Amino acid sequence: MSMQQKRFRLTSLLMTAILALSVLAGCAKPGGNKSAEQSAPAVTEVKVGMLLPLSGGSAPVGEQTKAAADFAAARINAAGGIKSLGGAKLKLIYADSKGDQQVGVSETERLITQEKVAVVMGAYQSAVTMTSTQGAERLKVPYINPIAVADGITERGFQYVFRITAKASAKAKVHMDFLPYIAKQTGKEIKSVAFVYENTDWGQSTAKAWKEAAPKLGYKVVLDEAYTNNMQDATPIATKVKGANPDVVLLVSYTGDAIQLVTAMAKLQVDAMAIMGAAGGYADPKFLPSVGKNGDLLYDIAAWSPDIEKPAAKQINEEFKAKYNYELNGEMVDQILGMYVLADALERAKSVDPQKLRDALAATDMKGRIVDISIYSGIKFDQSGQNMYASELLVQFQNGARKTVFPVEVAPKENKPVFPVPKWADRK
Amino acid sequence: MVKTLIQATADGVMMGSIYGLVAVGLTIIFGIMRVINFAQGSLLMVGMFTTYWLWVGLGINPYLSIPVVVAVAFAIGYLLQRYLLNHLLRSETDREPLSALILTMGLWLALDNLSLLLFGPQYRMAQTSEPRLMLGFLTVSLPRLMAFVLSVGGVSLLTLFLNRSRVGTQMRAVGQDRRTSVLMGVNSYHIYAVAFGIGASITAIGGALLVPFHYVYPTVGVLYSVRTFVVVVLGGLGSIPGALLGGILIGLMDSIGAQFIKASWVTVIIYLVFLLVLFVKPSGLMGVEKE
Repeated sequence: MSMQQKRFRLTSLLMTAILALSVLAGCAKPGGNKSAEQSAPAVTEVKVGMLLPLSGGSAPVGEQTKAAADFAAARINAAGGIKSLGGAKLKLIYADSKGDQQVGVSETERLITQEKVAVVMGAYQSAVTMTSTQGAERLKVPYINPIAVADGITERGFQYVFRITAKASAKAKVHMDFLPYIAKQTGKEIKSVAFVYENTDWGQSTAKAWKEAAPKLGYKVVLDEAYTNNMQDATPIATKVKGANPDVVLLVSYTGDAIQLVTAMAKLQVDAMAIMGAAGGYADPKFLPSVGKNGDLLYDIAAWSPDIEKPAAKQINEEFKAKYNYELNGEMVDQILGMYVLADALERAKSVDPQKLRDALAATDMKGRIVDISIYSGIKFDQSGQNMYASELLVQFQNGARKTVFPVEVAPKENKPVFPVPKWADRK
Repeated sequence: MVKTLIQATADGVMMGSIYGLVAVGLTIIFGIMRVINFAQGSLLMVGMFTTYWLWVGLGINPYLSIPVVVAVAFAIGYLLQRYLLNHLLRSETDREPLSALILTMGLWLALDNLSLLLFGPQYRMAQTSEPRLMLGFLTVSLPRLMAFVLSVGGVSLLTLFLNRSRVGTQMRAVGQDRRTSVLMGVNSYHIYAVAFGIGASITAIGGALLVPFHYVYPTVGVLYSVRTFVVVVLGGLGSIPGALLGGILIGLMDSIGAQFIKASWVTVIIYLVFLLVLFVKPSGLMGVEKE
């Protein structure tokens, strides 16, 4: 072997060794406590596994959810932590799902088996939540899902999964409750609807509910378009919507596609009586700045809105804004509630034993106090783990702000929905 | 329906020209070095971020910042090739450089994650409205039209450079037969570096053209990666006009196809057509059959 060949061999061997070492270094957790600290009598901290998309297409909303979680945990810890566990503090251990189902599954298992978390919270995206909850159920560790909406998550007879927010089919109801209401109010008849939705569990669940409700209300479905996330260009779909000429357009999208779709429809001047989103990307604080005037008078649903008639809501929003420089939204409030539900369950369980914690979660019955930051009348899980009191409201983007317009009970009186929205050519 | 089809055709050609331009960058690198560059999407992202920051930070019009983008991307490409890839190519002179492929994968991860670290994951839009021209019922987006004009123009200039200039001729020679051109006195490793630099800058220009109407974020390159490979192979590996043609074809299929079938199915159709072309003509639409 020549000198050059020998040197090359040595260099590649060395680099492989360095690579292997860095991979191992990445696996070992700094300050990771592999001993059974959790089951020892003196618990000083409760490890909470947080599975979120911290990179990839949904990273922006993943970061926001993380902010909400950190905010809530800090608040709980500052108020004395879990008093029944001697003031034990919540310790959030984050795992990046990368928005991928497979990664979500392996990260959940890692959180449970290696990080030894007492509970898992996640995963924002329905698709990732659907699969990662299976791991938690199998390993018998409670999994709190504050945000993901796909119906199926709580329809599998699982015992360890709990959902704070309303299901997709329940959320989809808001659109189908609003449309006949506003048609009656304004005297404008709605004849046709178009559905454009992302094709994973979230979009499919929502669209399924819409497709069932539309014929009952006499609406013709002129377009039923499921698309794959992270489109390079939404212009073809927007062209299709324009061609179908629906009275109302209903959308389910994550941030990137939401921006693209709304911009494309504005560019092509798709004139519908109303264009309505279903939270997710439309609720991302980055959405409106990215679409500017193209997002004017868009409707969206939310589990929460900064302008609801509840003092506790306004107060917590100010507190959050002071720390993070942006406002809360429905998903973030659901995450905050999720953290408080966990704290409440830990107080009652007086233990971090997964079985005891699971039973305490199942017995949750919270009313008032922290729940008053939301529009929910309470938090109580039914047999399937679904919060019975979750509900949803409708907002419209007016003058660059999300204004709650429906249901009338929670909407501020000065907020009036604009319907039908003016044609694009008539707008400034 | 006709109106919709005309709109879709116009949009498809314009968007497709960008796919084509990005693919030309990749095809140069492959054509001359036989290296499949997995980091091409990241180079697109570099072009996008450079343009974005110059526009938002210094108010420089994105089309005027193209020379800067070219310089930055060329430098990155040239240095990457000279100091990283050339070492690998030197030790594997007798075979196709497979380890270079793996190196480019590592580069992709490194570049994307560096960008994520520096800029954060949020989406950034340089401008929220796409200025447009109305030709009767046809909506023509001005930034996309510009992109089409500049893509075709850029590819033509590149073809001229490759055919008429000394360096261009050397590049074509190295691409055709590495060993013979070395025997003829061409410094192949310098040519590789130039080729990588040019390939990087062409793709980066594609990024600059996207910024006026596309959102920018660290992993945006991944959105284009697979499609770029399909375009390159469809057009014929190493063929520049082929890459542009392939890009426009795919843009058209995307746009017109979406009018007739569900958007998710369009992707399936594109891949089926791709496979069909390869079955009938394995070297791609405009590729040269190798003995």
